[in-house]
Amino acid sequence: MLQLSRLAHGIFFTAAMLICGTALAQDTPNIAEKVKLCATCHGEQGIPINKQTPVIWGQNEGYLYLQLRDFKSGARQNALMGPLAAGLEKDDMLSIAAYFSKLKWPNLEQPSASGDVATKAQSAINSVGPCTACHLEHFQGDGSTARLAGQWQDYLHTTMLAFRDKSRGNNPGMSDLMKATSPEDIAALAQYLAGLQIDAYLGHGR
Amino acid sequence: MASYKLTGALVSALVIGFAGANLHQALAQEETPAAATTKHRDAPVASVSQDQLSGAAGDENNFLHTNGNYDQTRYYPGKQINTSNVGKLRPAWIFQTEVKESLETTPIVVGEVMYVTTSFNHVYAINAKTGEAYWHYKHKMGPVTTYCCGPNNRGVAIYGDKVFMGTLDSKLVALDAKTGSLIWQTDISEPELGYSETMAPTAVDGKILIGTNGGEYGIRGFVRAYDAETGKLLWNFHTIPEDSTGVWATHDATGKDMHRDIAAEKAALKKLGDPYKTLGGGVWQNPAVDLKSKRIFFVVGNPSPDLDGSIRPGDNLYTNSLVSVNLDNGEYVCHFQYIAHDVWDLDAVSPPILVDVKDKDGKTVPGVIHGGKTGNVYVHNRDDCSLIRFSEAMVDQTGMWSLPTPEGTPMLPGANGGVEWSPMAANPELGLTYAVNLHQPMTYHVESSPYPGGKLWLGGAFKVIPGSEQFGNVTAVDYNTGKIAWQKKTPLPMMGGALATAGGLVFTGEGDGWFRAYDAKTGDVLWSFFAGAGVNAPPAAYNVDGKQYIVVGAGGNVQLDFKRGNNIIAFTAD
Ligand code: HEC
Ligand code: HEC
Repeated sequence: MLQLSRLAHGIFFTAAMLICGTALAQDTPNIAEKVKLCATCHGEQGIPINKQTPVIWGQNEGYLYLQLRDFKSGARQNALMGPLAAGLEKDDMLSIAAYFSKLKWPNLEQPSASGDVATKAQSAINSVGPCTACHLEHFQGDGSTARLAGQWQDYLHTTMLAFRDKSRGNNPGMSDLMKATSPEDIAALAQYLAGLQIDAYLGHGR
Repeated sequence: MASYKLTGALVSALVIGFAGANLHQALAQEETPAAATTKHRDAPVASVSQDQLSGAAGDENNFLHTNGNYDQTRYYPGKQINTSNVGKLRPAWIFQTEVKESLETTPIVVGEVMYVTTSFNHVYAINAKTGEAYWHYKHKMGPVTTYCCGPNNRGVAIYGDKVFMGTLDSKLVALDAKTGSLIWQTDISEPELGYSETMAPTAVDGKILIGTNGGEYGIRGFVRAYDAETGKLLWNFHTIPEDSTGVWATHDATGKDMHRDIAAEKAALKKLGDPYKTLGGGVWQNPAVDLKSKRIFFVVGNPSPDLDGSIRPGDNLYTNSLVSVNLDNGEYVCHFQYIAHDVWDLDAVSPPILVDVKDKDGKTVPGVIHGGKTGNVYVHNRDDCSLIRFSEAMVDQTGMWSLPTPEGTPMLPGANGGVEWSPMAANPELGLTYAVNLHQPMTYHVESSPYPGGKLWLGGAFKVIPGSEQFGNVTAVDYNTGKIAWQKKTPLPMMGGALATAGGLVFTGEGDGWFRAYDAKTGDVLWSFFAGAGVNAPPAAYNVDGKQYIVVGAGGNVQLDFKRGNNIIAFTAD
């Protein structure tokens, strides 16, 4: 097992770009080939390799783009994604976002939350916002707002807490909402949102 | 932090994956869905003239403006449906849109053709008599849409042979009213910086007027005029002037102390400078147009960030204000600020209405009225925007203006105010204006963060007080005295807006699915219909072939999480 440090990764990535960037530029492998790298962590079939790596297949286009933009600018800090995004230009990010947004969100087979947890989550949902005012009725999100339904519970939990303590600093509005939500409620929300199956409700929008 | 196995596969993936520097070129070949119009047949619509638009207040057949007419009274002149026969209202037809999400559209009716919009910027032209579709236009949405409060749209404007719509990705589109095909599209502003459109535009004198959303994202607000023919920008009025400091008002329009720390603000001003570039000031709803004086009147929304005033010293002009500008060139005429340096988001959203009002001496003068999020109706002199009077509070204002704290301070009304974007309707015969209200006890929390470059910027949060009761009202206010004439409680907070008619009626809908007609004089409920989804859109009325219709959208509401639907329902009395 290897802890990738931000620096090591960055150097490696830059080197890869320098060495191979021009040599292989003439080849135009298909898109799946181009984004193969992402699959090593975000999954060959869209199921990420671990529960701290979020699903990006079927995530909303604007949201994906803004995250890549923010990883690059450092507004969202992550030792793995930062160096990866550093080499991307705006057009690349938009194209990658469009590509992943069109793939089907995978079913992670997470159980739906029990009555008690669901009740707690529902009350937290209505307490601020409500969450559905932005993430929409089935937590499918839209545009620049993330889909939450069926995302890994662990990832959701971690990222909400990261908003809360501002270690995830790329959306002060979400930080404020999480600050107004207790850690117990956040735990319930993560479990509840992870267990939502929403395939039947998709396709009513844009 | 999670750990990762860095295998040979990953290494080679890194190399191969980013080999091509022009990644986007390969990906760009992906098909991009274009704006699409599905046409069944041409809509049999005649060109709409300026005279027709100017005469809308007396026109029983058509409903040409989102708020009925340029005065925005939402007072329909027809009497065929009235207090004596309203009990016989039945659905004439129900049109189902493709989009089951919040409906805030006001149907626009020209002859036999009705135009409605849905969330995510679909437009339908439908037969106003039968509910059959002529065409359906789907906007090609850009990836980034930074709207507050839902993917709503409040309708089209019509002018000549075109209909106009603002979009969530901050564009203005002009469609052929007959065929639904796109004629031109103009970028209004940059969605990545928090600009978006949900309001219906206003069409007048060859100009298409539109404001912008974005008060939750640190935009610099505006109202703009575009050329109806070409989509070219004609003028721009910044709702935030470069000197936004104002007069350091310590009390609001109703005389309540806002507990400002002026010394601290002045110190912050010295340190930070004028915050005008990211100060918000969205304009959510249509301007009223005074055709005689060629001036428009609109209200400007909250400063950014909503709850944190520490980084935006000064009165934050012209947020939370009534503003008038010249229709021809957008030049400032006058303003009146309701709440200087707002830290509660109790701003000005509901569209202003032009009516004659009694001034302080009892003399009848041209006036402007506005239903504030505070829960007061404000009555102004149209000449200089000055305040003549304000109404009794329509909602509980307990704790107003307690300052937000990190732990949260309880105050009423809640974040959605006493009146939200919902348009009021006025009955000039009775001298009454009808507002729909919300009662939602909340705590106000402040949390400071610097400008986040177009991301959600609230400066805190609003939290519902657990176990507290929420409800709504329909309130009739006498704008010549400021007294409440009648008030009816509703089980849920109200959002959507009202229509008044010469038949002595007021129509408005509720979040649980009820759509009701009230006696304009007494507030008695004369008719109710259960729509099955929240009726949270402003109603309209028209007449085809000698028969009067009432029409309303039942699509629920995203902001209050009222049951969603996809119905446009037209009623006749038979
Ligand atoms: C080495 C593993 C790894 C690789 C390779 C990788 N990612 Fe990630 N990615 C992660 C992790 C871990 C996170 C979660 C970061 C966090 O918690 O803030 C993440 C987060 C993201 C997010 C944010 C999603 C959200 O829901 O907020 C996006 C978008 C993303 N990655 C896109 C990509 C793309 C596109 C690629 C290929 C160019 C890629 N990633 C390659 C590990 C990886
Ligand atoms: C006012 C709009 C708004 C409200 C209300 C809101 N969110 Fe968000 N949320 C957003 C936006 C926009 C993002 C994207 C953040 C970014 O730009 O990085 C987001 C991101 C998130 C994410 C991160 C998703 C990911 O893949 O990393 C989570 C989790 C989340 N929100 C949970 C919630 C919960 C739970 C609530 C209610 C308690 C809530 N949100 C209320 C707008 C909102």
